[in-house]
Amino acid sequence: MPHPLETASQPDGLRRVVIDPVSRVEGHGKVTLLLDEHRRVQQARLHIVEFRGFERFIQGRPYWEVPTLVQRLCGICPVSHLLAASKACDAFVIGHARITPTAEKLRRLLHAAQVLQSNALHFFHLASPDLLFGFDDAVPHRNVMGVLQDHRELGLQGIRLRKYGQEVIRLLTGKRIHGTGSVPGGFNKPLSAADRDLMRADIGQVTDWCAQTVDLARDLFVKHLPEHGTFADFPSMFMSLVRPDGAADLYDGALRVTDAAGNLVVDQVDVRGYDALIGEAVKPWTYMKFPFLRAHGPDTGWYRVGPLARINNATFLDTPRAEAARQAFKAWGDGRPVTASLAQHWARMIDTLHCAETIAHLLDDPALLGTDLMATGTPLREGVGVIEAPRGTLIHHYRIGEDDLITHANLIVSTTHNNTAMNEAVRQVAAQYFDGRELTEGLLNRIEVAIRAYDPCLSCATHALGKMPMRLELRHADGALQDVLLKHEDGNLERPELIQ
Amino acid sequence: MSLMFPTAPASPSPRLRIATCSLAGCFGCHMSLLDIDETLADLVDLITFDRSPFTDVKALSEDGIDIGLIEGGLCNEENVEVLRAFRARCRVLVAVGACAMYGGVPALRNGIPVAELMQTAYLADGLHDPQLPRDPELPPLLDKVLPVHEVVPVDLTLPGCPPPADAFRALVLAEIARRTPDIATELPLHARRFD
Amino acid sequence: MNTQPHPAEAAAATFVLDGRSIPFTPGQTVMQAATAAGVYVPHLCHHAEFEPVGNCKVCSMQLDTSAGPRMVTACTLPAREGLVLHSETPAVQHDRQRLVQMLFVEGNHHCPFCEKSGACHLQAVAYHVGMVDTHFVHAYPPQSVDASHPDVWLDRNRCILCELCVRASREIDGKNVFAVGGRGAHTTLLVNSASGLLKDSAVAATDRALSICPVGALMPKRQGFAMPIGARPYDHADIAERPADT
Repeated sequence: MPHPLETASQPDGLRRVVIDPVSRVEGHGKVTLLLDEHRRVQQARLHIVEFRGFERFIQGRPYWEVPTLVQRLCGICPVSHLLAASKACDAFVIGHARITPTAEKLRRLLHAAQVLQSNALHFFHLASPDLLFGFDDAVPHRNVMGVLQDHRELGLQGIRLRKYGQEVIRLLTGKRIHGTGSVPGGFNKPLSAADRDLMRADIGQVTDWCAQTVDLARDLFVKHLPEHGTFADFPSMFMSLVRPDGAADLYDGALRVTDAAGNLVVDQVDVRGYDALIGEAVKPWTYMKFPFLRAHGPDTGWYRVGPLARINNATFLDTPRAEAARQAFKAWGDGRPVTASLAQHWARMIDTLHCAETIAHLLDDPALLGTDLMATGTPLREGVGVIEAPRGTLIHHYRIGEDDLITHANLIVSTTHNNTAMNEAVRQVAAQYFDGRELTEGLLNRIEVAIRAYDPCLSCATHALGKMPMRLELRHADGALQDVLLKHEDGNLERPELIQ
Repeated sequence: MSLMFPTAPASPSPRLRIATCSLAGCFGCHMSLLDIDETLADLVDLITFDRSPFTDVKALSEDGIDIGLIEGGLCNEENVEVLRAFRARCRVLVAVGACAMYGGVPALRNGIPVAELMQTAYLADGLHDPQLPRDPELPPLLDKVLPVHEVVPVDLTLPGCPPPADAFRALVLAEIARRTPDIATELPLHARRFD
Repeated sequence: MNTQPHPAEAAAATFVLDGRSIPFTPGQTVMQAATAAGVYVPHLCHHAEFEPVGNCKVCSMQLDTSAGPRMVTACTLPAREGLVLHSETPAVQHDRQRLVQMLFVEGNHHCPFCEKSGACHLQAVAYHVGMVDTHFVHAYPPQSVDASHPDVWLDRNRCILCELCVRASREIDGKNVFAVGGRGAHTTLLVNSASGLLKDSAVAATDRALSICPVGALMPKRQGFAMPIGARPYDHADIAERPADT
């Protein structure tokens, strides 16, 4: 059974409203709405309009090249792809053996730094203008430069949080974006004591800033509760990686899925069995597939991933300040999973605080400076690597031939897991706000706000939705133009006189 | 005069208007632009972001743009339209990063027929309702991913995957001083590397 | 009459390169004399261990003649008393840049994920001559990868047909594994085995043919990205400070 509003029963003659394009890593997207003559929404879709074909074109490349290559899927969280691919390709070097303790600690440090910087970007640079200034704020002001103008210290704090994560990445991989570092079987560079000390110098301040930002994200959500609490609030299942003891784990672990009431759906599923757990459906109007739990089927088996899923799913967090923040979050939701899309920003900052504490903990570990970086084992010809990327569970799966070249690749990226959820958010916001009302820029921005809660890759973070002038057309069933609405770069709407 | 530390303009000049977009790119170049860190705060009164993924501005300013930064090569017909609009409005059009320079990683598909790429993604075993996406809302793919300079004239290229923050900082500061830099001779080696 | 130059005279023989007097001994090429004098001349197909073939043209420089300036290849031009040559001038570097750009667009050179990046001579020469774009229309030629051998792989996407592996395999490894065949745009590096594949050839990962490859075309397997970014030869040094054939 299709979702309500996914497909209009009678699309002819409906007025098409387009927000175009939504940019994103896996592709660029746009939102289309079909409204009837009473301005009631009959159809709302988020289309991913770009196709790149990674899964095919990396076939025939050698596996040792894959982590460095596929991180170019995404410049916003490249380390996630570097690490997921490294984990999958570890099997081609060491089989079932584990990488060395130092290599694993270096990868964990790298990953925590990446989630920290990417979450900071998501919150401060991209989402905060909506939260600080309101969804109807003037367009020229509603961006990171506006934040720096009005709240310079807060804006600088966001810049410096992101900078810290990027600098840790640079020290470990040689570059802030698209470095090397992690390789199949381990890590290519030991960490020097001098570089470790550089990282250590600021981690206390960074952790405090993260804790302050948790409070800020909570306060902004709670302060705007009448709107934020119900905005794109819908029940769903949640998926994330957890440790055997149920603690959230960003780097490793097994899959847990809970339902909207907080009950376990499945738990401790070996990631190598992801294919039996998750299927993918194709729809003709978008390049992005729709993952679902096979046991539940394509219509009801969808779920959410990302910070909200991680915090909802975790039995506990293994660092004290983040765990206290998680408990406060849980208490606010009366112990049940929080389902409001905008609570994702609050959860995201708890996630970020957890990363900062994890970094501090790793920097105190003398084993981090070890030099035993490459493991040995009996190579296999198939590998699966799963990791919690900033925006959620990320799956890389490869097979190689006798000649070490890739023969098969399957990638399910965080954005894809959230495809149904983002479409649901778009449908719900459209139905809640648009029905029967005069369209305004602020109303259209609410669609982008909903997508932004999930994926700045897709919404290209702030505000990429609608990089082109928007032109809304209302046509009669016979195709004749009835009404035109133009949206200018300053956000002003214009209804030009129709030429008769 | 140094590119890294250009002389500030003698009198306050109008803000530098910058537009950016990502075509078939990964947003890594945009992230590298943000890697100028605190410099971004120093630029609050000196630059304006026009149409860009960083803002809600939906269309290129009618008054013209000082610098247009193009990340990514061209993979579909919509990319071509966007790029032409940038070329028409921007005084200095900059091809930013490896994908804009030569197609980059997405150009790995250039030896493979589009139909075969699509088949691998959408008709593979185990998919529910396998079919090739086809919808008026999806822009047609180009046969090959193209670099920017093969579609419109380019004024400057910043190589790198992505170009490091120093390259962006140098470019923006030079343009604020109303001077278009010579990338090859003025940028240090690390800021014009190809990877 | 004794035609052999007096040793003192031979030592005094010089030509002028970029205004600098370069001594040479008879029989030396301009490239050999310049290299011996510590002056870097960009090159890709030249290597001190082998006879020059002059096929990459990257060592082209300007020779002043009575008929005006003309371009010559330093690797094949015998040094002569009184030659006046210009190498590191904007005009010559511009010509070299165009040659290197042609090499880039005629192959599939993906520096971002190439394991040779930072140690690649093609890339380092491109930096040296000031290349920041590819200028020409890209051919994106379909090229094959041969990973059939257990320890060696060949990526023809990155081959610049310098023939250094051909010469090294024949003259140093004593194996004659490689050859260049085909015409025009279809010229390609061939493997001398019944199947045409590396696995049926005599190649080994320790062959000089591999270590001499200036690009990432001929590599040992399973060693990619072992060298961290920052520690690679051309991360901080221009190729002139760290010439390729040492």
